[in-house]
Amino acid sequence: MTRRAVLAGLAAALAAAGGAAWKFRLFAKHYPPTPYDDLLGQITDREPAIVFGQESRKSLPGAAQLATQLRRDHRTFAERAAAEPGEAQITEVAGWIVPQSVALYAALAAQA
Amino acid sequence: MSGFQDARTLPRDTVLTPDLAIVGGGPAGISLALALVQSGQNILLLESGGRTFESDVQKLYEGSQTGVSYVALDGGRLRFLGGSTNHWGGWTRPLDRIDFEDRKGMPHYGWPFARDAIEPYFARAQALIEAGPWVYDEAGKTTPDIGPLLPLGPGGIYTSWFQFSKTRENNLPTHFGDRYQADLTKAAHITPLLNANVTAIRLSPDAGRVMQLDVATLSGNRLTVKPRYTVLAAGAIENARLMLASNDVMTAGVGNGNDLVGRFFADHPIPRDVATMVLFDGKLAPVYFNNIASPDGAVMRAVLSPRQEFMRAHGVAGSLTTVENEIPLDPFATAAVVTTAQALGVDASHAKAFSLGCGMELAPDPDRRLTLAAERDALGMPRLNLHMTISDDDFALFRQTLVELGRQLLAAKSGMLHLNYNRRDEWLSAMDWGNHHLGTTRMHNDPKQGVVDANSRVHGIGNLYVAGSSIFPTYGSSNPTLNLVALTLRLADHLKKVMA
Repeated sequence: MTRRAVLAGLAAALAAAGGAAWKFRLFAKHYPPTPYDDLLGQITDREPAIVFGQESRKSLPGAAQLATQLRRDHRTFAERAAAEPGEAQITEVAGWIVPQSVALYAALAAQA
Repeated sequence: MSGFQDARTLPRDTVLTPDLAIVGGGPAGISLALALVQSGQNILLLESGGRTFESDVQKLYEGSQTGVSYVALDGGRLRFLGGSTNHWGGWTRPLDRIDFEDRKGMPHYGWPFARDAIEPYFARAQALIEAGPWVYDEAGKTTPDIGPLLPLGPGGIYTSWFQFSKTRENNLPTHFGDRYQADLTKAAHITPLLNANVTAIRLSPDAGRVMQLDVATLSGNRLTVKPRYTVLAAGAIENARLMLASNDVMTAGVGNGNDLVGRFFADHPIPRDVATMVLFDGKLAPVYFNNIASPDGAVMRAVLSPRQEFMRAHGVAGSLTTVENEIPLDPFATAAVVTTAQALGVDASHAKAFSLGCGMELAPDPDRRLTLAAERDALGMPRLNLHMTISDDDFALFRQTLVELGRQLLAAKSGMLHLNYNRRDEWLSAMDWGNHHLGTTRMHNDPKQGVVDANSRVHGIGNLYVAGSSIFPTYGSSNPTLNLVALTLRLADHLKKVMA
């Protein structure tokens, strides 16, 4: 086996391993389990949500009550966020105009 | 007598007897004189200044202020031929229909007529200010190559359009003194009289007519003008000053039997950096932050305006929100944008943020007013004090408009909005002003609610009229020049009839 073939094989193996890691979110940040993972799992990227949620949580109830409130709406986070501006269900968080669900889910992320 | 004259060189105590005396050689005075060129009436156009800026003339404008911080009274206007068009920005836009309406729950709103009354004069006004073809809100429909307009969901805010005054030889915008000097010179029946300060309006003993105008020059000359008709066109501050100071017959001042002259002063607040608009894809047509010239010669810029239906439904005042420049986002803002965009299922990796500015309409306020001060100027005229106000409601109503814009951006999944000010001190710290002086001789059919009637004639005085933005009873958010010129052309038609 030539050195070129060995290097090519190695490169292909590395690429496959990288792809698999990405695919199965091996590098994604893992969070300790919470009673709200059904809701938090709908947030694409929790890190910025946690940062934003530090502000939105200030005017909202605690995590348990928030989760109850969120589960009462049977739509997904994405469905709610898309629909709310058209329904005038928006709120202001530290000056930002956002769909209400964004404020609620972010507040939950910040408290979980 | 015709052609330019200098009041300083006329024999002392000269008495002039024109058919019409126009006090003030700004856009209203010049437009009025030119509109009456063919009338055959002898017109005297009295201009306080000369052809260029002179500091001792400008100092006649000095005054004092109380209340909210505002531009110095000698700072936002110019006292020489052409008036404040010598420093205007050239922004033009017609008043909206709603600006003329009585507004439910909004005191002191409404004109004595609908926009239809000045509609026929817009084309000529547009030509006088040299703003090119009349395009305005047709721009988005008819002008090619301006790029995609801001995607907004259904709602109360839409893309509206300014046009700009422009003139020949890259002189932008039109300075009425320079531009129309030659026309005034060759007009057979017009005498522009420079350096002529009207210091008093003398009424008949029954206060029913103007008998004469006292004229003084800074060089010490004195003249008398005995016109058949008089039009005050000296701007919203000086019109009120001259009427208030002329108090020998009517002790409260000319036309001030109901204590309205000088009240309802207004301007357009222009708070800077009122909001941050984030566009998720980072794409915004340049016409939102740069002026562009259309192929047919209109220079235009896109702004964001509340729809009239939205204004009626929510009791919102007028505003025109502009995109100023691209700005960076801090980490918290980035978190807000990423979280929201992901929730909406939108990629925000190319998001850009833009600072927004605006021009707001103030609600009419009788306590925002000009009164005579004790101090006198070099001609012996009392100076003015301006008491300036701006209410929390003015800010709150505009904030409501911005919230609607934010909602529509989210609904379209195109972006989002951050409101930068909430507290009064925050708004005031960002405040700038349009120097659009308005409202001090407001128009109303009822003499108890207005100084001039629907024909711009001062209530109770048969031969005294007012032109310019001092007659605006409500203000809209559009810049006033185009509109005041259109109103002046309407007044010219009225004068042609009554003076014939």
